[in-house]
Amino acid sequence: MFRNYLLTAWKVFMRRKLFTAINLLCIVLTLVVLMVVTALLQNTFSPTGVEGKSERFVQMLMMQSSHTNKGGMRNGTLGYKLIDKYLKPMQGVEAVSATSFPQSVSVYQSDQVSDVLIRHTDAEYWKILDFKLISGRLFNADDVAQGRMVAVLNQSTARKLFPGKAYLDQKFSAGGQMFSVIGVVEDELHVNAFADMWVPVTTQPSSDYKNAMFGGYTAMILAHKAEDLPAIKQDIIRIAKTVVYDDPTRFNVTRIWGDSKLELFARTLLNSRTEDSGAAKLVASIVVLMLLFMTLPALNLINLNVGRIMERSSEIGVRKAFGATSRQLVAQLVLENVLLCLAGGVLGLACAAGVLWWLEGSGLIPYLKVHLNLAVFGYGLLITLVFGVLSGVIPAWKMSRLDPVHALKGNA
Amino acid sequence: MLRHLLKLIWKRKSRNMMLSLEILLAFLVVFAIAAFAVRNYQLYQMPIGFAWRDQWSVSIRAAQEIPNDAAMYDTLKRSLLDLPEVDKVAFTSFAPYEMSRWTGKYSLPDGSKLMQLDALAVTDDFFAAMDMAPAEGRWFSTADDAADAAPVVINRRLADKLFPGKSAIGQVYISAEDKDKPQRYRVSAVVEHFRSHGEYMDPVEFMLPRFIPGVGKDPAMTILLKLKPGTPRTFESKLNARLKQLHGEWSYVIVPLSEGRKSMLTLQMVPLMLMSVIAAFLLVMVAFGLFGVLWQNTTQRIPEIGLRRALGADAGSIYRQIVVEQLLLSTGAIAVAMVLLVQLPLTGVFGESLSWPVFLASAALSAGVIYLLSLLCSLYPGWRAARLSPTQALHYE
Repeated sequence: MFRNYLLTAWKVFMRRKLFTAINLLCIVLTLVVLMVVTALLQNTFSPTGVEGKSERFVQMLMMQSSHTNKGGMRNGTLGYKLIDKYLKPMQGVEAVSATSFPQSVSVYQSDQVSDVLIRHTDAEYWKILDFKLISGRLFNADDVAQGRMVAVLNQSTARKLFPGKAYLDQKFSAGGQMFSVIGVVEDELHVNAFADMWVPVTTQPSSDYKNAMFGGYTAMILAHKAEDLPAIKQDIIRIAKTVVYDDPTRFNVTRIWGDSKLELFARTLLNSRTEDSGAAKLVASIVVLMLLFMTLPALNLINLNVGRIMERSSEIGVRKAFGATSRQLVAQLVLENVLLCLAGGVLGLACAAGVLWWLEGSGLIPYLKVHLNLAVFGYGLLITLVFGVLSGVIPAWKMSRLDPVHALKGNA
Repeated sequence: MLRHLLKLIWKRKSRNMMLSLEILLAFLVVFAIAAFAVRNYQLYQMPIGFAWRDQWSVSIRAAQEIPNDAAMYDTLKRSLLDLPEVDKVAFTSFAPYEMSRWTGKYSLPDGSKLMQLDALAVTDDFFAAMDMAPAEGRWFSTADDAADAAPVVINRRLADKLFPGKSAIGQVYISAEDKDKPQRYRVSAVVEHFRSHGEYMDPVEFMLPRFIPGVGKDPAMTILLKLKPGTPRTFESKLNARLKQLHGEWSYVIVPLSEGRKSMLTLQMVPLMLMSVIAAFLLVMVAFGLFGVLWQNTTQRIPEIGLRRALGADAGSIYRQIVVEQLLLSTGAIAVAMVLLVQLPLTGVFGESLSWPVFLASAALSAGVIYLLSLLCSLYPGWRAARLSPTQALHYE
């Protein structure tokens, strides 16, 4: 039976080649857009590569400070002291890292000025993120403790600053401080990895950051295994209750939350200040947006399919006259449509890979690297199936209701 | 003729309805982008209120908070003016063509007309450095040092809102943030326009209060320079060297406003570009779909067309029939879409962003796109139908 359906479908597709081609093109165009978006989203929220351990770590971007008796609230980024004093001593975790946000700093060389983004980090940073080292080494706990003036550059920056030279042991001035290059890593885009240059946190001209409860740092906490994360999140909320400010009359309540990448994004976007980051809401709205985007192409496909199915009214009349039920006919027609969509899906995936490859090469988004993996393929397949059913059901249902007498005569 | 065509369309209403729905959706998508583009074009045409060609901004980045010290600002200004390339020096809280903005709540002294205003604190030299001209009144200066209220320059939009029907010069309004001892502001001049984010910024109520070095807690973290025309970009390292001499502990981000403007304009165009790419995809798809459906339709109607030919209709009139039918269908869809869309300017949900001129221009633009699309898609099927000889057509199975 199934084989028969497939054969019929093939015959129908080949009978009107131009029409099938147009149909296929519409499917491919839609799926390419959807798959590129999915691949970018997937890459952002559950990446492989440098932030490949993301299912094992939580991070903190914002803190909220308030007072139980007074008004006034402070929303801002975390200070180094908060991370150092309260989060670093946490038990049962693999590593806790404090990293500054990328800041722009000018590098002055004899004849040129370059703007680079610098991050002040500790040694744990390199344990949590898997940078691919191209040459040299990363700075370790000893470098950080001694405050050595060493810097790790990414490949593009190294190439920009020292064209045609060996990068290692080059000395350069960034923001008025002399650093020497000890390592070069691959370019990365992700939230925690993005920067042009990394230096130990202790190289800052003043040590005031050590006493600051607010400002400029982000924390990452790596768990031994992914199952520990809920407990760690609860632990962070408990620790927040123990935080004491320099001036307890101004603030005495702290709120911080350990978030996964998706939760962090949702929290920032939706401005959530509760334990629930609103990630579910965000995912729901993304799905709704994608469905909305699909309505126009689906409608388009419905119109095309109605035309194609109407042509086959005499065939359907014969099937009906021989006792095929409406349900069987709908199943057959939807299956045909899904088959076409799957063919379009395969083509679309190839095209999406091409588009992504072009996007990476074009430099439109600096340091972009998207890995098309099995998960993206799975999502792509799912989108294709939804699309196929969505655009196939209405014409098929309409056709299956045809009166066999009219259908046989072919004048529906 | 038209009535007859309408009757034909009505006869096939269920199929035509789906087609119209598709055209309607496509029209809505095109309209959204057209409205966005038209509004941006309109904004681009409006003056921004300041000059950017010879102006540079220097943002001070300091590890510790810097004190608001009058002597420090004075030394900075003096030694920068010593450079032969520098014409004027002013200090502000942030530079134009930057993403930053600062807003606060303000009202009239009696508490009425409470509104949210954009503010940018500037020193006395700011207006000269930015080549601005007052529409009314005079710029504030050291003559205002002993004034009972802080002098402020406001834009026309704010003046019309706060003091409608009278001259704003000399009028007083207050900050609504601090209830006990509100800061008082006295208007010393009105400018026609001021849009700190540049060309694509929506006009907002803007105030430029006076920043006095050494007064108040917050320091001004941006230096604005007006350079002599024709100063090359290489001046940047010289400028940086001079700044480092003065304060080696700070770092500086030096941006010529022309560069800042360029990157700001690019940044603001990104959403339009993204939307256009996606819309182009959708339109190509709709075009293919429309073409396919029309092709199919004419194939189905070959016997009908043959009959018309046999009864003496020439090829041209068949051609016309197919094209005009499609255009009528599009007109119907556009009309329905317009009934929906006209609610937007009527209710004013988007305010000035979708004013009547913007609405009409973008409606015309998008209707043009849809008509062009329907015309292009019906040309080939129409030609194919018209080409058939009556004998062929009548025998078609």
